[in-house]
Order: sequence, then C-alpha cells, then structure tokens
Amino acid sequence: MGTVDVVKVPGAISPFRARATVVSRRMQDIGLQVFHNKTAMAGLIILLFFTFLAVAAPLIAPYSPLTAVPDVGPLTLPGGVHPFGTNQFGYDIYSQVIWGTQISLLVGVLAAGVASVIGTAVGLISGFVGGWIDEVIMRFNDVVLSIPWLVLMIVVAARLNYLDLAGIILVIGLTGWSVTARVVRSQVLSLKERMFVERGRMIGSSNAHILLRHIFPNAFPLIFANTILTVAISILSESVLAFLNLSVKSNVSWGRIIAEAYQHDALTIGMAAWIIVPGLCIVFLVFGFYLFGYALDEILNPRLRRR
Amino acid sequence: MPGDPSLSIIPRDPKFRGLRDYMISFFGLDRPQWEQFVIYLQRLFTLDWGVSYQDHRPVADILFHDLGWTLLLVGTSTIITILIGIAVGAYSAVRRGKAFDFVSTGIGIFLYGMPIFWLGLVLQSAFRKNSVFQTWIPGWPALPTSGYYDDRLIPWNWDIVHLADAGLHLLLPALTLSLGTLAGISLVMRNSLIDVMTEDFVTTARAKGLSPRQVLRRHILPNGLPPMVSLIALDIAFILGGAYQVEVIFRYQGIGFRTIEAIGSLDYPLLQFIIVIGGVAVVLANLLSDFLLLWLDPRIKIS
Amino acid sequence: MPALLEVRDLTIEFRTKAGIVHAVEGASFNVERGEAMGLAGESGCGKTTTALALMRLLPYNGRIVRGSISFEGRDLVPVPEDSMRAIRWKEMSIVFQGAMNSLNPVQRVGRQIAEPIMLHEEAEPEASFKRAGDLLELVGISRNRLNDYPHEFSGGMRQRVMIAMALACNPKLVIADEPVTALDVMIQAQILDLLERLRRELHLAMILISHDLSVLADTCEQVTIMYAGKTMESGKTMDLFTDPKHPYTQGLVGAFPDIRGPRNMPEAIPGDVPSLISPPSGCVFHPRCKFAFDRCTKAEPALTELSVGRRAACFLYPQVTEVPPRPIVITEV
Repeated sequence: MGTVDVVKVPGAISPFRARATVVSRRMQDIGLQVFHNKTAMAGLIILLFFTFLAVAAPLIAPYSPLTAVPDVGPLTLPGGVHPFGTNQFGYDIYSQVIWGTQISLLVGVLAAGVASVIGTAVGLISGFVGGWIDEVIMRFNDVVLSIPWLVLMIVVAARLNYLDLAGIILVIGLTGWSVTARVVRSQVLSLKERMFVERGRMIGSSNAHILLRHIFPNAFPLIFANTILTVAISILSESVLAFLNLSVKSNVSWGRIIAEAYQHDALTIGMAAWIIVPGLCIVFLVFGFYLFGYALDEILNPRLRRR
Repeated sequence: MPGDPSLSIIPRDPKFRGLRDYMISFFGLDRPQWEQFVIYLQRLFTLDWGVSYQDHRPVADILFHDLGWTLLLVGTSTIITILIGIAVGAYSAVRRGKAFDFVSTGIGIFLYGMPIFWLGLVLQSAFRKNSVFQTWIPGWPALPTSGYYDDRLIPWNWDIVHLADAGLHLLLPALTLSLGTLAGISLVMRNSLIDVMTEDFVTTARAKGLSPRQVLRRHILPNGLPPMVSLIALDIAFILGGAYQVEVIFRYQGIGFRTIEAIGSLDYPLLQFIIVIGGVAVVLANLLSDFLLLWLDPRIKIS
Repeated sequence: MPALLEVRDLTIEFRTKAGIVHAVEGASFNVERGEAMGLAGESGCGKTTTALALMRLLPYNGRIVRGSISFEGRDLVPVPEDSMRAIRWKEMSIVFQGAMNSLNPVQRVGRQIAEPIMLHEEAEPEASFKRAGDLLELVGISRNRLNDYPHEFSGGMRQRVMIAMALACNPKLVIADEPVTALDVMIQAQILDLLERLRRELHLAMILISHDLSVLADTCEQVTIMYAGKTMESGKTMDLFTDPKHPYTQGLVGAFPDIRGPRNMPEAIPGDVPSLISPPSGCVFHPRCKFAFDRCTKAEPALTELSVGRRAACFLYPQVTEVPPRPIVITEV
C-alpha cells in the first residue's frame, strides 16, 4: 500500500473500528435471524444432537466398537443389552453406531473444509483475475465437474493407495471443490462490480488487499453456507466409499456398518436394525446439515430472500 | 497405480513363471508407466481399447454389452425422474408456502440426503420374497431383487416373456435410482419456476385473463425449462454415480457393477475404458442439452 | 349513465414478515369514457398496487380490505376469480413498466398478441394472427415481424408491441403503468404521442401512471396525486399544475424545472416516503410538510371538494374535515 495519511478527526472512530463494528453487527444480525428461523433451528438441533453423540461417544457407548462383547457370540439377534444385536465378530452394533458418528462427522467436516479451501481459492482467483486465467480455470472446473464423481473418487482413492483417515478426507475433498469454486466465482464477480471495490482502487489499494480485505469478508457468509452443504455431500460420499469397502479400515463408520450388514444378509437373518439404524443416522445427519445450510443460504443470499 | 495386476491374473506359483512372463509382456506391463500411457492413448484413437486382464476378452465387447443394460436403467429412471420431478416441482411452486409445498420440499430434502445404496437396500428388503410387509399386509407384492432377468430364462431372447421379465427386474433398480435423483430435480424445478413467476410477463399473462393452468403451461414452464435442461446435463455425472450404487445393490450387471468388480481384480484396461466411457457420456449429455437449449430458448444463438 | 370506472375508498394491505403493509388506503377516483386520468406520486406510494388491484391481480400476499371498484356500474371486488378472467384484457388491459420483461422472452410476439384474441373472442388462429398483424401496423411496426422474438426488438419497439397487445380485444380502459420509464426522451415522446393518438381514434379511457408529472401534463384531463398510499389531491390537470393546493403537489410541481421560467434550482421535497408498515399519525405527509401544524400530527384530513372537480386532503383549507375514526376491524390472523 502507498503511504496514505489518515486524517484524524477528533471524536471520529477509526475506519478499522467502524469496520469491526459493522462486521460484528452483521454477525449479530445473522445470529438473530438464524434464531428466529424455524428451518435453521431444526437443522441446528439435529446437528447438536449428533455432535453430542460424537463427542460423548466414549461415555454413552456401553462397549468398545471394535472388541467382541464378553456375554454373547457373533450375530446375536437384537435384544437386552444389545438393542441392535452383535455383528459377525461379536461387536455390539449399538456401540458401533454411536462411535460411527465420530468418523462420519469428522470426515464430513474436514473433507468439506478441504473442498471449501480449494474451491474458495480457485473461485476467488478465477473471479477476481478474470481473463484467460479465469477461462482456463473454469474449463478445467467443467472437466472435473463432468467426470462421474464416484469414478473420480475411486481413481483418486486407488492412486493415493493410502486410505487412512487423512487419505479418505483428501479423496473426498480433492474431488468435491468444483461446485464451491463456481459459487464463489459468481459471488466475486458481483462483488467486484460494487462500489466499495472501486473506492478501494481509488485510494490505491493493492489487488491482494482488495481481495482479502473487501471481497473475501463479504463473500464469507455465502462460502460458509456453501461449506455446510458440502459437509452433507461429503458425509454421503464417505458412506458410499465405505459401503464399497474403499474407506477407512481401522475405524467404524456408518457406511461400513451397513456394508458389513449387507455382506451378512442382515435382513434375512432378522437383524434389520443393523442396516436400518446406521442408514437413518446418515439420513438425519445429512438432513440436519441441509436444513441448516439451506436456511443459512436463504438468510445470507438476498436474491433468495426476495422470493 | 497400486498393486501388481499380474498377480491377480496368474497365481504366484513358480510353475506358472513362463506364462506370467508372457502375460506381462503381452499386456506391456514390463514397460515404464509413461510408455504404457502413450501406448494406451495411441490405441484409444485406433479403436483398439485393450483386453481385459480378467476375462481376456476385448474390453469394448464386455462394456458395450454392459452399457446397453446401464443405459436401459439410467434412461428409464431419468425419464421417470424428469416427468415426476417437473410435475412435483411445478405444483409446489404454484402452491408455494402451502401444505403440499412444505411436505414435498421436506420429503425432497430428506430423499436428497439419503445414500442411494441404502435406499436400494431398504426397498430390496421391503419387496423381497417373504418380506415383513408380506406377512403383515395381504397382497403386498414381491419383486425380483437381482439381475437383469430370471436366470431360468437364460439365454436372452427377444420375445414377450423375456421382455416382461426384464421389465419386472428393472422395476426396483429404476425406482431406487429415480427416488435418489428425483429430489434434486424437483427442488431445482421449484426454485427455478418461483424465479420465473416473479417476472413481469407472468403478470401480463394473468392480466390477459388466462387461467392459472394456462399461465403455467404457456408462459412459466417454457421459461423454467432451459435452466433445468442444463442442470440435468450437469447432473448426469451424479446420476451415473447413483447408477453404480444401484447396480451393485441389485447385482444388475451394468457398467457400475463391472467397475466395482474391476477395482477388486485390478483390471486396469477395463477401468480405464470405463472412465473414458463416463467422460464420453457426460460430453454427449452436455452436447444434447446444448441442442435442446437451442431449440427451447430463442435467445441462444449458435456463435 | 355511471362513470366507466368509479373507485371508492379502495384499501389494500400486504402481509409480509415485517408486518402488515398498508399499501393503499382510501383511494377514490373516477375515470369517464374516453378520458385519460393520470396517477402521480413518488415511487412506493401505491400507484402500481392500485393498478394491479383494478384488475384484481394483487400478489398472493395482498388483498383488498375495503372499498369498491365499479366498472360500468358493476363492483369488481366481490366478483369470483373465474368471471374476473373474462373481464381481464377484454374490458380493461394493462401496459406494464419496463417493456423488457413484460413480454414472454421465449414466445414469438405474434402469438403473444394473438393469444388474448383467441382466448376472449374464440377466434380462429388465422383470424387472430391477421388481427395481430393489423395491430402491429397500428402501432407502427411492420407485420413481417410477427414471427420475431421480443429480444429482437429495441426498447421502444417492445413497448409498441406491448401497446398493440393491450389493444387486442378492444378494451374500454387501458392502464399504462410507467409506460415510458427507462426509454430515452425521444422515444418517450413517440410512445406518448402514439398513446394519445390511439386514445382519440379508438375512444379509449386510459389510466396513465407515472412519477413524472411532465408525462401526465400533456396527455391527461384529470390527475390524482398519491402519497404513501393515500390520495392527496385530484382535479383537472391544468388547474392542478397551475394552482396546486396540497403542499405535496406544490412540492412535486416545484421539483420540475420550468425551461421557460427563471433558472432556479428545482426545489426538492426533503425526506423520504414513510414506512407503510407503521405510517405516521395524522396526515401521512406532515413529517415532510413545511406548513405542518399541530392538527396535522393528530388528525387525518379527509379528501374534500374545494371547488367543482377539485379535491384535496389538507387542513390548510378550512373546509377540509377530519377523517372520522375508522371502526376497529379485527382481522383474522
């Protein structure tokens, strides 16, 4: 930045203080709207419930998810202390489902984080720089978007050859950023047109300054809402990979529980809960993220709000 | 790529040594990876798409057979999805804020968050022979839950018995895939139509004295469809992902089923060609949607 | 014979998340056959809402709370929707603001013009399209362009198409809502001339809505001035412009520079149109009125006849009475 002398006016608050006030007021305003929005609250309650399950899993779950229970053998029918029965190794399925929350949430949130960071960076640069760089990036994005995601994920999974927790997060994150990039790019394009960027230019701000100080903070709420929706998709992706035996082998996840149940014909041997319960968990967790994400999107996106 | 495919083809036994060496040089596995890739590209354009490690048949033969069945599945369910999705989306847009809209949007978001493989499992268990529902509800149907058609009817014949049986076998997989992809279509249709409904020309149409149905059919839908077409084309990748899961669950041996098998046996020629086919499918879908758009929206010109 | 259109005490509300918006309150005016009436006021004061209400086209969250709309002696407010559809376009049609979006972008203009003819007159397609071509020629566009799409026309041409469409079923009344806004000045004059010519030739009644008084000055016999959903003043155009009674009208007239007069800066009315969710007590204009006195903040002036054909709602004139307090209507929630 050039040397701009800030004229001190007695009694005036500094522009930085003013900005901080504006931002915090905006956050308060958004918080209040979330609080009054039934959809957002319903989603939030579901999310809090599952977060509680994940954090308190060691306290709630009666058994370890990967140790055979002492009292009964494998494939015990539901009942008594094992409400969903035991699996082929004699692990308590109820405990497995509770512990599975951890992996689903962790993978979902972190993978969405990876996807959002990449998507945001790509979108910001593509939208802000424009020109042929934008063109190249968006065409590449089209290609990524057009490859069937499951195949892409399988290929990346096979390529990485390294499917522990970090691996699966990377696989889902690396294949899931293109929608975010699109959303961020279009937001940047519209923000770029707005007055304050012009003003920023005129007082001699650098591009990086405009991008990080003006455009990013204004696009942030939308990026956040979009990340929430990406979490939902990431959770689904993890469950599919787990079901196809391509996910983490060392931890329990809902997709893996369903896969094991499927392989052991849970439905024919009277253990429907083995399949149904973890499935419902996925559905409700994803539902929670969607509700919250959509409501947030509606609050933050004035175009939607008009409807 | 990981794993030595030769090991999955020929047992690691000294007496097969010679055979294994022959196989390795036949498939070109002894050359550096980049060279293998260049050779693959060369062959791709000369329509020589390689031989499966597993079946020892040309991959094209294997996959074109599978592709037919996958197209049947994806085609059927896409048509069902588009028709129902547009109807539901349009109706909830018209009844915005009313009970139908609320319920259909809720169910939509719920279905949207449902893993397709799990939905398939649930449907399979509900409609298999001796399902819980069959013991409770008299007349509850049992539907075939695996394969293209009944094994007893093999080999395939173009007659009414085979066709009817194939149709019956298609029911559950197509239903699963439709339900799994329906919500995306109907939710976007709803939002797109609500967008159109705020336009002035809709008020003009109402002012002309048209009935709500006429306004919807003549003015709102024609303007709401173009964005849907491009969306469905973009969604093809997602629909294919869903089809893969459905094929695995219902042991419906199309491309998806073959993919999972190929991963298990590290059958790379097959996998590579599957990716090529997937890409081609998406490109074709986009091309098709561009032509449709050209026809639907007079503002788009060939440039 | 009753006036073509008699609007009495028309009151419209919108339900929004923020509360009930009192968009129009107690609007009253007459339109005679073949006469042009102007409706003026700042944006957001209920002009467009009034226009939509006349055709019973309010959005889903809006409703007519009180009042009557008599068209040829028949009150349209209680008419069921089905019968209303037969009246729309056939008896009165509307030309919307901003011709860009008033035409369906994916339908050929010929079809759009012919559509109401086929609907209301049950005419054969050929006859309807022939008439659509005649209408295009009437507004100065070649009939070869029936098969063009709206985006192939310029802004002024699109507005001509819209006018041709409005005349399709020989309506008795045409409502033109900001017909020339967003067009450049030359085109504005052409379109206004066209409207004026058609009105005289076809003996149309017209309601011309504009925020621009100069648009109304040339075309309308009568003008009604609205502010914050209420009628402030009405009367003959010349009288109203030469001798505005209401301070708001005075402000509006003063806000336009007179090219013949001394070169003064146009005087702006300080302040903004108030919130229609919680309008100010008393006269709605009092917060911005330089003559406001005690009574204005407490009581609401009724629209009162000052001289023949001239009405105003302002306590500056001794004959103006207060609006009697309205009975509290309990609306279902």
